[in-house]
Amino acid sequence: MTMLANLLKGAAAAAALAISAAAPARAVDLQFYFPVAVGGGAAETIQALTDEYMQLNPDVKIDAVYAGSYQDTITKVITAARGGNAPQLSVALSVDMFTLIDEGLILPFDDFIKTEEDKAWLNSFYPAFMENSQTGGKTYGIPFQRSTPVLYWNKAAFAAAGLDPETPPATWDEMVEMGKTLTRRDANGNVTQWGVRIPTSGFPYWLFQGLTTQNDAILANADGNETNFDDPRVVEALQYLVDLSTRHEIMEPGIVEWGATPKAFFEGQAAMMWTTTGNLTNVRANAPFDFGVAMLPANKRRGAPTGGGNFYLFDGSSEEQLAEAVDFIKWITGPEQSAKWTMATGYVAPRPATWDTETMKAYAADFPYVLVARDQLDHAVAELSTYQNQRITQIFNDALAAAITGQKDAATALAEAQAQADAILAAYR
Amino acid sequence: MTGYDRALTILGAAMLAALWVLPLIYAVWTAVHPSEYEARFVLTAPLTLANFIEAWQAAPFARYFLNTFVLVTVIVICQFVLCTLAAYGFARYRFPGRDILFSLVLLQLLVMPDILIVENYGLLRRMGLVDTIAGIALPYVASGFGVFLIRQTFMTVPQELDDAARIEGAGPLAILWRVYVPLAKPVYLSYGLVSVSHHWNNFLWPLIVTNSVETRPLTVGLSVFSAVDSGVEWSVINAATLMTSGPLLVAFLLFQRQFVQSFMRAGIK
Repeated sequence: MTMLANLLKGAAAAAALAISAAAPARAVDLQFYFPVAVGGGAAETIQALTDEYMQLNPDVKIDAVYAGSYQDTITKVITAARGGNAPQLSVALSVDMFTLIDEGLILPFDDFIKTEEDKAWLNSFYPAFMENSQTGGKTYGIPFQRSTPVLYWNKAAFAAAGLDPETPPATWDEMVEMGKTLTRRDANGNVTQWGVRIPTSGFPYWLFQGLTTQNDAILANADGNETNFDDPRVVEALQYLVDLSTRHEIMEPGIVEWGATPKAFFEGQAAMMWTTTGNLTNVRANAPFDFGVAMLPANKRRGAPTGGGNFYLFDGSSEEQLAEAVDFIKWITGPEQSAKWTMATGYVAPRPATWDTETMKAYAADFPYVLVARDQLDHAVAELSTYQNQRITQIFNDALAAAITGQKDAATALAEAQAQADAILAAYR
Repeated sequence: MTGYDRALTILGAAMLAALWVLPLIYAVWTAVHPSEYEARFVLTAPLTLANFIEAWQAAPFARYFLNTFVLVTVIVICQFVLCTLAAYGFARYRFPGRDILFSLVLLQLLVMPDILIVENYGLLRRMGLVDTIAGIALPYVASGFGVFLIRQTFMTVPQELDDAARIEGAGPLAILWRVYVPLAKPVYLSYGLVSVSHHWNNFLWPLIVTNSVETRPLTVGLSVFSAVDSGVEWSVINAATLMTSGPLLVAFLLFQRQFVQSFMRAGIK
């Protein structure tokens, strides 16, 4: 009994502490949610940039909220907006644009673009990034932490296999040929080094979209209500991906883990890997050998999807707050700020102006591979994005997984996925 | 049971136990070795605490620990007080509408808390409790399960004890405090354990309600800490995971019997 009584007393003290800690949140003019999907330092970079802005503009207070992964952030922001407490701005995946429009949560930037200078700013982003940011003639997203997948190769492994360490594969056939040379087996026939690694876990559609683009197929229309999953060129691309493991035996069979991919590359388990340019700074810091970065190999053409996050403007705040939010976005996408962000992560600076700064020129002179992803933008297409995006990509991912694990052949899996996607998207046509 | 049967049962149990404990062993392995040994299991691998230090320094875990501790304490205390009073009323008082009210309380068990998230969030915003520990706790303090569990226990207390206390001159609250609560102590312990473990691990609701380090509990802090895109540093993430689940693991080992009993009791009654 006394134990319980003591427990109660202690708890009462704890409760008092909690209630005193529960004072209402401090008054802020703007609230800003952001996710981080690359190494630990990125959150500090955003916080530092926000602080710098507040120093320059003492009348504006910005509460930058690090909300975890992209998935966590979108959950948080949708709940907050529906609960009547939307932040003024948030970074979220560019592909969530249609979902956010469908929910009626975001506002187009066009209403805040008044002067010629503003218009010039809006037109100063790479067109490849704007594809995922505009629909119906309006701009809903401002590119910020944007990426594309690139090919990283291990120069030491290339040299050891008798290949030219400075020449990465430029075509699908070359990748297979080089992959065969690079795949090494021990005396028992177990593979010690795979030729190439294209991760297929979690969101396989993204890297796969690299293959479909190279095969000259477009997965979804710009209105986000029509998909082309059963296009013969898409089937062919999937067959190529499956063949890497089954026919050519140069890639680990089955589902290949996304998160473990850089690690496998560092440890020499794969001589080439496809992954996001957002990993560039991480690879540079951790690869124990000389590595190279190249555009993804071409087939009918070069190609890659864009990826990553945009700024969105949320409904539910005063005009004044929203105008302030737009000012902040203009500032943080400015050349110097954007250069800092690119150097800290490897994300592609979304405006040509950034690449013309002295900071960026000096960085690129020292580390030219930072330019690969930018140059690849000329060949890039919008990441797969439709209405009901989560459901559509899930259907597509499941079809890819079924083909990769050999449960279905590529044509069947994709035809089924197309039928399911049609059933969902018919409502939006 | 024959010896053969017994051996088979033990073997089966051991295999299941091994399967269950494997992730934990892997977490310990990666956490105490340098990251090169994540997938190489060499007995001579050097031991290190660097992963723990790195994880501890990479995020404000001390603050997260405090937040979680305050959070679960507040929830459990409030649940005890509210559920005890409600259970006492339902168990020993006759009043019009009692059964309807009690079935409404039971109905709460059928509602998934997740579908109320938007509604709860809107309410908390109007109360100005978004991004506070009180805000994380509030939706959970009136627990239908707790009322049900404690009421069932109070119903088993012999009426004679109640009557005897009344003859001695004890009022209703004194009877509750001196007769019912002491007899239900094991139930409080087990319910408390279940509640603590549940709220220690709760993720989605705290994620949505909290915006700052000052209020974030461990689960949200851990998730924010372990980003996947950059290539997973399993050794550091596992060190952080062990740290954050450590207190609960220790509590489980200490109160193992009560833990198991509490889940059984909750099922049987």
